[in-house]
Amino acid sequence: MSDDLIRFDRVSKFYGDVLGVNKVDLRIPPGITSLVGPNGSGKTTLMNLMAGLIHPGSGTVSVRGISPFAPEQLMRILGYATQYDAAPRGLTGFDFVLSGLLLHGFPRPDAVRRATHAIETVALTSAARRKIAAYSKGMRQRIRLAQAIAHDPAVLVLDEPLNGLDPVVRAETIALFRDYAARGRHVILSSHVLQEVDVFSDQVILIANGMVVAEGAIRSVREEIHEHPSQYLLRCAEPARAAALLFTHAGILEARIDPGGAGLLVITRQREAFALAVQRLAVDGLAIDGLEPLDENVDALYEYLIGGGK
Amino acid sequence: MNQIWIIARLEIRRAFFSRRALWVYLLALFPAALFLGRAASVHYDRREYAAKPATPAAILDRLPAGTTDKDALAAAGPPIRDRQWRRGEVEHRSLHYFDGYNRVWLQFENGALKTTRRLPLHSFEQDTRIYAGVFQYFYLRLAIFFGCLGIFLNLFRGEMIDKSLHYWFLAPVRRETLVLGKYCAGLIAAAVIFGGGALLSFAALLSYQTSADLETYLQTDALAHGLWYLLAAVLGCAGYGSVFLAAGLVLRNPIIPALVMLLWESINGFLPELLQKLSVLHYLQSLCPVPAPLDPSAPPLARMILSPAAPASAWTALPGLLAVTALVLYLATRAARRLEINYGGE
Ligand SMILES: Nc1ncnc2c1ncn2[C@@H]1O[C@H](COP(=O)(O)OP(=O)(O)OP(=O)(O)O)[C@@H](O)[C@H]1O
Ligand SMILES: [Mg+2]
Repeated sequence: MSDDLIRFDRVSKFYGDVLGVNKVDLRIPPGITSLVGPNGSGKTTLMNLMAGLIHPGSGTVSVRGISPFAPEQLMRILGYATQYDAAPRGLTGFDFVLSGLLLHGFPRPDAVRRATHAIETVALTSAARRKIAAYSKGMRQRIRLAQAIAHDPAVLVLDEPLNGLDPVVRAETIALFRDYAARGRHVILSSHVLQEVDVFSDQVILIANGMVVAEGAIRSVREEIHEHPSQYLLRCAEPARAAALLFTHAGILEARIDPGGAGLLVITRQREAFALAVQRLAVDGLAIDGLEPLDENVDALYEYLIGGGK
Repeated sequence: MNQIWIIARLEIRRAFFSRRALWVYLLALFPAALFLGRAASVHYDRREYAAKPATPAAILDRLPAGTTDKDALAAAGPPIRDRQWRRGEVEHRSLHYFDGYNRVWLQFENGALKTTRRLPLHSFEQDTRIYAGVFQYFYLRLAIFFGCLGIFLNLFRGEMIDKSLHYWFLAPVRRETLVLGKYCAGLIAAAVIFGGGALLSFAALLSYQTSADLETYLQTDALAHGLWYLLAAVLGCAGYGSVFLAAGLVLRNPIIPALVMLLWESINGFLPELLQKLSVLHYLQSLCPVPAPLDPSAPPLARMILSPAAPASAWTALPGLLAVTALVLYLATRAARRLEINYGGE
């Protein structure tokens, strides 16, 4: 099966009873794709699942037609710079990249050439012969990037690759992503700030609480966020009458009588218009006991993402 | 195959020079140190007695029981040491001689020769039996056991603690290959350290024997015994190594597998026959060329623990041990396939 997508089919992963990700369905085409979500939303979990570092509790993952259960095939086409800061003890930057290439089975001269090139790409040549233990955080970030790209993979997975990079290196790194994407490869990266990645991403996947809340080209995701419907519970004695009255106003997607008898459940895209309509109901003499937003968390998430985490 | 070798080569430095490995060397070198110490003391004794007057054995042997101390002194000349003491009604006297090979004590009661005690300066026989005891009870049971614990448990668990295991998982190698590669690295390190320790201590044992003893031994059993000791040490590493490698894959706490294994190996003699076959020590015992000394007056429980039933011949023990090792390694590769990166607290 020739397949150039990264697929997640109803993938769930629990750590004991902590939710990692829940029923994720994804089709990721080549290009730059950014996973965006706050801390603990499941970005690393998704990436580890792609690379087979962890395995799904249910559902299946496939990367360009290869199962992550077959590392001997997958790792030939995948390079992954993890968020784990540790490096093998006592190695220099060069030896670190070189040992990865030797494991790939490259003959030594070839491996040396590739390692040199990869380290050059991440602008670490001058520090290559020093022990990684003596590197700064940003340098460790870059040496891991070097190891991930050293074997020229078709799928590049990078967990928060821009963290700790200074502006110059950051621009160079982004140029590298673009170059990869232009050659029909996958570049998957993560960030918890949408603004950091939206300029250069072809696709964005928003994650919250282990679920994909929006995905697609950056423009459509932005629209989706803006038009994200809100749910409210309208507490009142006559929900049926309230529903009839509310539908005469625009902007209501759905209104349902709460089976528990608490009132009327309303889904709307236009919060202000809806608030006005509710006020008018009260003026019209309908007894209203209260109005409660039901998904404040999701609202807050979108505010957070659009606001760039500020 | 090639990949296993690449992994082993990358890994072997860590197996030899890990910070956690220092005590492994101490364990491995302990018997050698012990027998070097023995060599030094024998050497010292020899020098000391060489300076002393030797009384021909013929004279000392000819003294019958009942000889008076005066007659003995007249016949044998002045002793090396002369001790007299009194207990109750009995007057004791002990005359110490050296006949050039044996230390001899003539023991008198109330002036009449009662017994003649003869002890060689050192006995080759006895030393080889002591060596067998040290090898089986200390080296195989404890030194190699804990040494392999240190080396093999760390192959995976150590990297989980260092948070560097994922680099191996991100290489294009099967998990099975990775397990075997790391096992080879550990086995090479353990075999060199403990095989070396065994040979060194064996050499130390031979280093102070009299040339006559040594010559006969070299012409008969020395080579075979040395090889069997080496083989038992290396196979011990292979067997224990596989178990601890597997334990390091599955468990986080090293104490638990160590205790369970130690208990398992000790009570092995009490287990049904089928379960006995799943023990490393069970096979190692019959690979040792010289049976270990066992005090027949020891309580049966202790005897059972110290020397459980073992396969009759080394040639059946060998494939048995290899089969157990292979089985454990197979289970380890199964566990490795399912293993996930979970450094905890991330
Ligand atoms: N090894 C683990 N054991 C238990 N829970 C875990 C483990 N790894 C992740 N989790 C939980 O799974 C959820 C998702 O974690 P994940 O690391 O994927 O988030 P993330 O989006 O990468 O966060 P961050 O931005 O902080 O890196 C979190 O609630 C986290 O607590
Ligand atoms: Mg993360």
